[in-house]
Amino acid sequence: MGKEARQNWDNPVQFVLACVSYAVGLGNVWRFPYLCQMHGGGGFLIPYLIMLVLEGIPLFYMELAIGQKMSLGSIGAWTAINPYLGGIGVASVVTSMYLCLYYNIINAWSFWYLFHSFQSVLPWAECPLNSNRTGPIEECETGTSTEYFFYRETLNISSSIEENGGIHMGQALCLLLAWVITYLFIARGVKSTGKVVYFTAIFPYVVLFIYLIRGFTLHGAFNGVAYMFTPKLEQLANPTTWINAATQIFFSLGLGFGTLIAFASYNQYNNNFERQAIIVSFINCGTSIFASVVTFSIYGFKATVNYENCLERTRLLLLNTFNLAEDSVSMDNVFEWIEKLNTTYPQQFAEIAHKLEGCDLESELDTAVEGTGLAFIVYSEAIMNMPVSQLWSVLYFLMLLLLGMGSMLGNIMAIITPLRDFKLLSHISDELLNGLVCVFCLLLGLGFTTTSGNYWFTMFNDYGANFSLLFVVLAEVITVSYIYGIKRFEKDIEDMLGHRPNWYWKIMWAGVSPLLLITLFIVYIVNYIQGGTPTYQAWNKELGKSVVTEYPVFGQLFIALLLVSSVSCVPLTALYVYCRERKRRPAHTGSPE
Amino acid sequence: KYLFSINSALGDQAYVWNENEMFLFRATLAFAMRTYSDGQEYDVANVVVCDETPRVSFWFVVTSPLDASLLVDKRRVEEAVRKSRSRINSAFLLTDDTLEFIGIPPTLEAPVAPDTPPWLIAFGVVMGGVGAGIVVLLVSSVKRDGEEETGGKTENEAASDAIYNMSFSDDEPVTQM
Repeated sequence: MGKEARQNWDNPVQFVLACVSYAVGLGNVWRFPYLCQMHGGGGFLIPYLIMLVLEGIPLFYMELAIGQKMSLGSIGAWTAINPYLGGIGVASVVTSMYLCLYYNIINAWSFWYLFHSFQSVLPWAECPLNSNRTGPIEECETGTSTEYFFYRETLNISSSIEENGGIHMGQALCLLLAWVITYLFIARGVKSTGKVVYFTAIFPYVVLFIYLIRGFTLHGAFNGVAYMFTPKLEQLANPTTWINAATQIFFSLGLGFGTLIAFASYNQYNNNFERQAIIVSFINCGTSIFASVVTFSIYGFKATVNYENCLERTRLLLLNTFNLAEDSVSMDNVFEWIEKLNTTYPQQFAEIAHKLEGCDLESELDTAVEGTGLAFIVYSEAIMNMPVSQLWSVLYFLMLLLLGMGSMLGNIMAIITPLRDFKLLSHISDELLNGLVCVFCLLLGLGFTTTSGNYWFTMFNDYGANFSLLFVVLAEVITVSYIYGIKRFEKDIEDMLGHRPNWYWKIMWAGVSPLLLITLFIVYIVNYIQGGTPTYQAWNKELGKSVVTEYPVFGQLFIALLLVSSVSCVPLTALYVYCRERKRRPAHTGSPE
Repeated sequence: KYLFSINSALGDQAYVWNENEMFLFRATLAFAMRTYSDGQEYDVANVVVCDETPRVSFWFVVTSPLDASLLVDKRRVEEAVRKSRSRINSAFLLTDDTLEFIGIPPTLEAPVAPDTPPWLIAFGVVMGGVGAGIVVLLVSSVKRDGEEETGGKTENEAASDAIYNMSFSDDEPVTQM
């Protein structure tokens, strides 16, 4: 590609769809509904929208502007802005690399579940039988069948990060497939990606819409939606709400990875990215809300089903213990009967009292889950109760796959575009370079398919990107506003768009966003220090649930390594450039420069 | 002890429990004892039921056909019931969940295990399709490179000169530190 002119998107629509496909990812589906639930339902939208305006859109605009102006990947672009701060680009690439390593595992799981949906009975709907064939396997009975399927059959998880086992072949095959498809999508660079994003950006909305209709017609869906949207405005007084809103906007838009810079670098010089930045940000925000409505209607359904099953079990228990006729106790009057029986037969009642589960719809709705637990456990539990569950399962996991793939494309581009710009690599063909990157990530990613792989995945997920991104974007906005200068930046934008950015943008870049980011940064550090030893959730076979466990020493060291390795790129690169300049300068004393 | 949950199993099509149903039960139990026990001629009269409740649950014992005061050993009865469980269930249109014998765990059917796990089939299909796509892609790009090499060599040289000049001029605004 070094021989030809830089590739371009075929039309601006491809660029917008690529940004949408990248920004709208799994976080919109599995993190935002959780935050909504934790921070007061509908009321959470207020801090969310405020943060979008204060921080999300200005930073998004800034990254697009940089990419489009410099027409280079993140390393080249930042080196062009200020040679000492090229390290910002390097830090972005390192963070993107960490993300690429572990993110495709999620796609591998989606493939696994997708392929397992083509069976007459969904495998996570029933517990497999034990060797005597007298009942289900114990681990499955103490937990639930969906948890068993995820932890035992999908991951074959060990009981802590220290215990290691072999690679799970099924997982490895699915990971291979995920990387092969990723390669297929990016093999020719923007030419192939540009066509793929039509599908990866639009199809998830089709599925979400279908699920919206399905969700609303489910029994008990309304309970969930009402529960979510009832605003609990007192949560707004809690500073954690605002911090979480800011953090969610920040990560949801995918700032700091270098992807936006990479995508924009393939734009025509005069592309109107100002309008596109606003459109993509609002689409991302709207999708989060849309996905939450769907998620909560499904939550409501699942909670209602669990509640009714609980009532049914209690009813059966009462019938069996007190030998009542079958139609005397119905689901509606279970609680009245409990009262009655407690007073008339106190002794007998006391005997079964420990078997009585308290059935409560509120507490079923309260079980807020996020992340992989929501996507693969809670959702699959809801799906198995729907009629024609295979169809819904296929649709759902296909959607997860497309959301994940769309974000993966962006992250891989964030690595490949700067690599492309290096003159050293310009004589390697597109296909070969992309293939090498994919193979490299695949081989390292196989580590996540081992029995302790999920714990490493969680470590990367929690620590690999968050801190470094905050740092990178803070450095970006300070560099652009103060080191490069707002005046020069304004002129660059005028050059591209034909008009200067108005006062709103300038205030955000120079004042509000840096302050917000510094606050987030400090809060993150304080939380980390106050949190004590970092912990993770380890799956306990006997108890059939996850227990909080501390990371061992090597785990903590690795976390420190993850945090330091990307952040240190900035000072290290600055140092390297400084030393290189000093070596050059004595030789240049004679030249006219 | 024996527990019936007719309504939960059948809902609208539930039948009313009456004397005739009880007769059917005793008959099926006698059948079970005849077939799976020692082969003696058990009759309906040998199955004695007591303590019937509105819940439709009751205790029963089996007497030996030879001597009405002799009770058949519990374990033999249990074994006979376990072996003919599916027949008893289907006589009442019920299943292992809705027709419970207290103390006799059901022997559940082993699930049908296909030779190739079905997910591998789906995986194979998708992997094959994607693999074919990659082969097509690589072959077409090799062909494209081949065509570029043989045709228009002078054009390429002029183009690369132009590119070289452009990149040189781009450097200038940056080198001012």
